[in-house]
Amino acid sequence: MVEAIEVVNLSKQFPRVGAGWGALRLPFAHGHGHHCLDRISLTVKPGEVFSLVGPNGAGKTTLLKILCTLLEPDQGRATVMGYDVVQQAAAARRQLGYCPGFERSFYLRLSARENLRFYGILNNLSPRLLALRMSDLLAALGLGTAASQPVQTFSTGMLQRLAVARALLHEPRVALFDEPTRSLDPAGAAWLRHYLRRELADRQTMTILLATHNLSEVEEICDRVAVLNRGCIMALGTPAAICRQTGAATFADAYLRLTSPEVVPVETVPR
Amino acid sequence: MSHRDNAFVGRKAVAFLRRDFLTMASYRFTLLLQLVEILLIATIAFFLARFLRQQGLETVTPFARDYFSFLILGLAFFDYLGTALGSFSHTLREGQLTGTLETLLVTPTSLETVVLGSSLYAFLSTTARVAVYLLAGVALFGLPLSEANWGATLVLVLLSVAAFSSLGILSACCILLFKKGNPFTWVLVSASGLVGGVFFPVASLPEWMQTLAHLLPITYCLEGVRRALLVGDGLAELWPQTVALLLFAGVGLPLALALFRWSVRRAKITGTLAQY
Repeated sequence: MVEAIEVVNLSKQFPRVGAGWGALRLPFAHGHGHHCLDRISLTVKPGEVFSLVGPNGAGKTTLLKILCTLLEPDQGRATVMGYDVVQQAAAARRQLGYCPGFERSFYLRLSARENLRFYGILNNLSPRLLALRMSDLLAALGLGTAASQPVQTFSTGMLQRLAVARALLHEPRVALFDEPTRSLDPAGAAWLRHYLRRELADRQTMTILLATHNLSEVEEICDRVAVLNRGCIMALGTPAAICRQTGAATFADAYLRLTSPEVVPVETVPR
Repeated sequence: MSHRDNAFVGRKAVAFLRRDFLTMASYRFTLLLQLVEILLIATIAFFLARFLRQQGLETVTPFARDYFSFLILGLAFFDYLGTALGSFSHTLREGQLTGTLETLLVTPTSLETVVLGSSLYAFLSTTARVAVYLLAGVALFGLPLSEANWGATLVLVLLSVAAFSSLGILSACCILLFKKGNPFTWVLVSASGLVGGVFFPVASLPEWMQTLAHLLPITYCLEGVRRALLVGDGLAELWPQTVALLLFAGVGLPLALALFRWSVRRAKITGTLAQY
């Protein structure tokens, strides 16, 4: 069976380019800065909810951006539903939905419905299917009554829910979420976690890959988790297995042990 | 581009137009100001031409009975160059600032459709502005368009838009690669405005400026459009301008799109796609 996501020996460095005249070298620069990702490998199975956790700068967003074809890796390869994200980028993009961490990424003077209509057409949805999906998602995400309002009048939480709707509009097989509950209030965050787990993963068998700083979120909805630090996978497995491996009482303790500066990467923990 | 994507190109073009129209329509006062601006420019052109005539300073203006006809057409169609040079880089920069660029690039829509679709509204809006220039010129200031060859004008405008777009896409490449595109745009607009025959006949310029003029597509655009609109010349008479614009478009546009694809790839490698 094809893995939903497969990452093999993936590395990414960003070039260090100075300001001023040095910036002219930027287009031709190659990565010689710090390792954002350092030979990481992982697989995510269809229907699995998989989480990436780690301190700021650990490489979570870099990995998500490579998977959704916004960044190219320096070495290694990554596939989404079997499609290589560099060699078959367009085919890979058809398989995935991406919910960025920046929730204002909309045309703010347009309504929620107009924004979704625009992105739906770019995702090759037929008019009939698009109307159906918009109506379903706006209702499911609690935006039905606000759908005709300009997006600039939306609260941060509403924008975040609209970003989730946009990512799911074309019924992708794999959905990538960058800190999806960051801007939500506790009730909204709990609802979204439930929606991701029960509706998308369990009922629709969609594969979910989410980057988060919320460790209880990981324990609540994720099947497996990769703990990243300085571009390396420090541990990979179920939260319980990672606790056992590190001898920690809680996943939060395990996380702190794995991301402290003196820890070196360990072997992957079997499920 | 896959067959499936091709089938949606028309809908996608309409989607880009709808997005930009709805956004612009929400700034109603701006639309009004644009109309006032055009009328003011046309009025300035009229009084400038009248002053030159009264002082006996009006020089020979090829294909035009008077300097006003020459100037108003130059100003109106020069707008297309400004739009081409500004719209691609502006759309790109706005996408970087708002975060929408990345959300467009993760859809299966091809890069070419995203780039060209994002500038469609700007060109249609410029066409509307040119129409207002012409209407105001005819109705208020006696611009003589009775002999106009509209078919030839349309062909020349389409070719000019394609030729100018290649320069606009190059400007967008500068935004992607160096995070700045304005120097490129500024130099091109200034050079085109100075030597391209917008304000003065090219023949009245020093020889080296005339040589420079013939390296710029605006020169052929303005000469062709003036002859088509004021004298009624058809494409048979306008073949030198048509061929020149065809060459600029045929060579420039594929080259510019290839460079844009390369620029996006470099930005994906250097991780600077969304940086500004």
